[in-house]
Amino acid sequence: MTATLFSRRLLSHEAMLALLLALALFTLSRLSDSFLSSANLLNQVRLMAEIGLIALAMTLVIVTGGIDLSVGSITGLSAILLGVLWSKLGIPLPMAAVLAIAGGMVAGLANGLIITRFGVPPLIATLATMAFYRGLAEGLSQGRSVRGYPESFYVLGQGDVLGVPTQVLILLVAAILVGIALQMTAFGRTVLAIGANETAARFSSLPVDRVKLIVYGFSGLMAGLAGVLLVSRVTTTRSDMGMGWELDAITAVVLGGASIFGGRGTVLGTVLALALIQCLKNGLSLAGVKADGTIVLIGLFLIAAVLLGNLMDRIAAR
Amino acid sequence: MKSTFYVTALAALVAGSAAMAQSAWTGGDDLPTNPLACDGTPAATAALAYDGGSPTNAPDRAGKPITVVDVPKLVGIGYCNATSKGIADAAAEMGNMTATTDGPTEANIDDQITILDNYITKGVDGILFAANDPVAIAPVLKKALEAGINVVGYDANSDPGARQWFVNQAQFNGIAKSLIDNLVAEIGADGSFAIVTSTFTTPNQARWISEMSAYSALCYPDLKWLETVEAQEDNILSFNQANTLITKYGDEMKGIVGMTSVATPASADAVTQSGNCGKVAVVGLATPNAMRPYVQADCVKSVVLWNPVDLGYAAAYVLRAAADGTLQPGATTVAAGKLGELSIINGSEVLLGSPFVFSKENVDQFDF
Repeated sequence: MTATLFSRRLLSHEAMLALLLALALFTLSRLSDSFLSSANLLNQVRLMAEIGLIALAMTLVIVTGGIDLSVGSITGLSAILLGVLWSKLGIPLPMAAVLAIAGGMVAGLANGLIITRFGVPPLIATLATMAFYRGLAEGLSQGRSVRGYPESFYVLGQGDVLGVPTQVLILLVAAILVGIALQMTAFGRTVLAIGANETAARFSSLPVDRVKLIVYGFSGLMAGLAGVLLVSRVTTTRSDMGMGWELDAITAVVLGGASIFGGRGTVLGTVLALALIQCLKNGLSLAGVKADGTIVLIGLFLIAAVLLGNLMDRIAAR
Repeated sequence: MKSTFYVTALAALVAGSAAMAQSAWTGGDDLPTNPLACDGTPAATAALAYDGGSPTNAPDRAGKPITVVDVPKLVGIGYCNATSKGIADAAAEMGNMTATTDGPTEANIDDQITILDNYITKGVDGILFAANDPVAIAPVLKKALEAGINVVGYDANSDPGARQWFVNQAQFNGIAKSLIDNLVAEIGADGSFAIVTSTFTTPNQARWISEMSAYSALCYPDLKWLETVEAQEDNILSFNQANTLITKYGDEMKGIVGMTSVATPASADAVTQSGNCGKVAVVGLATPNAMRPYVQADCVKSVVLWNPVDLGYAAAYVLRAAADGTLQPGATTVAAGKLGELSIINGSEVLLGSPFVFSKENVDQFDF
């Protein structure tokens, strides 16, 4: 009974998002001729891939009722790790990339440890690690940037596979895998249960701590992967990479219908929300709105979308 | 067991960063330097081969109206308002150029890349830019060149192959000499000083710091360089960093050099508010409007800059000449409206002139 009410509520939120997306695509294509071309749309997916990967993992984190503010710093840290391991220690580039991503995962697992083993609330724990990892990145890089990567490395960030940008494929595969994991596996059910009622989940012998650890570790892993993709896209490593990305990811997840208190959320919602935000950013800019105007309009739009979502939830609950 | 693994991994990271921290970094880039002679004899500028990029299949724009987008490092600071004004003045004078200024609200390279990408998709005829990072901006600029758009940089360079021309406000070594000479005049040839810069990877600041390092090693070897701190063109951060320097070094630090037009007034503010006016010298790059109160209070003796309005003006004219085809690789001068003929050095750099020193005597004559 509750399950169908739940699914009905979720379905209506995603349907509303899809409708808004279609509306936005239509309006923006009217405002500018260059918006609806396949080259532009594929390029936009390429640009949103990094935040997209982080938002996918953030969906899991938020559904457990937690939050991860350190993802931006982990992105910067793994970008720096890649640069330092390759240029200073001479490790071959593919190995350095794997180690950088693994470093991101270790950082995420550290977050998970602090949250599960020491019982620190996720907001505070990741707020602290956000500063810590950024500091590590600054320290390791000493403010220098690493450049001069071989051309073959740029296929990740700037190349195409069968005509589709590489990041689009990576994002697609990740979205499908995470979506399946959340909706159709016992692991996903546990994630939802932790967010809905953690005490009940514990008393039902669900492996709450282990799942939380995996979820935060996965968040770090995605942030690491995003860092490597970013370096490949901009051909350089900077210690300030990823600053502010945590807010963009959280915005996408919350707009996608996930409850910030946990227990509710879908990957489809997150993906639709990501697409909507990117469309707006791009379409408004092409229509001639300047950067500062775009921020205002997107903010207004997000407020309207969240209010509308709440309204529809209340109607569906009756 | 798992926790020991994670703890050791984290410890390795921290130890790694501590080990890397041994080498103090002054904030310069690793490119070769060319310091001027201590007594001011101008250096011989070698004529280099053209090293800029060129647009692929650019349409014939000679004499036709063109749309140009100007993407400064960030919007909302006096210096970039001045360069944008110069571009707008030039466009109005030419009559056949429409220039829009659109930039990020923070000096963020990612936002700059997104803005440039959107304008490439939208379709502009020309791009004027001041880069936040010379390497990161190169892929998107090359994309613009491949789309047949004319690309000219000013103020902060990118990799040479990613743009056609770069309008340099003054020679890097000239700015370095001016800053160090003015600093030494106030703190003496054996004083100690610290630098507040934007970030260690911002192209123009990094270049200037490298040249300053080379020039001071050559001419003032007893000058003591304490530290370089980053302040990212942010007012509050610059103020806090300057305060931290004053507290950290106390009497040891005799001078602060501000490398950005935001850092210098903020450092002067920090020095004034901590009551160190006259004890800690502040020298740097800044607009006269921002520094006027400190110059008139005798806290700051000299401010080094050039005319940013002229810089934007020249950049717009160079872009027009490149779009018209009248400025070709291998040229040695270019006509820039009311500024006359500007010389081209180092292959693809257009030189605006020499740095200008503002002091109490002349700071009131300028309004930017």
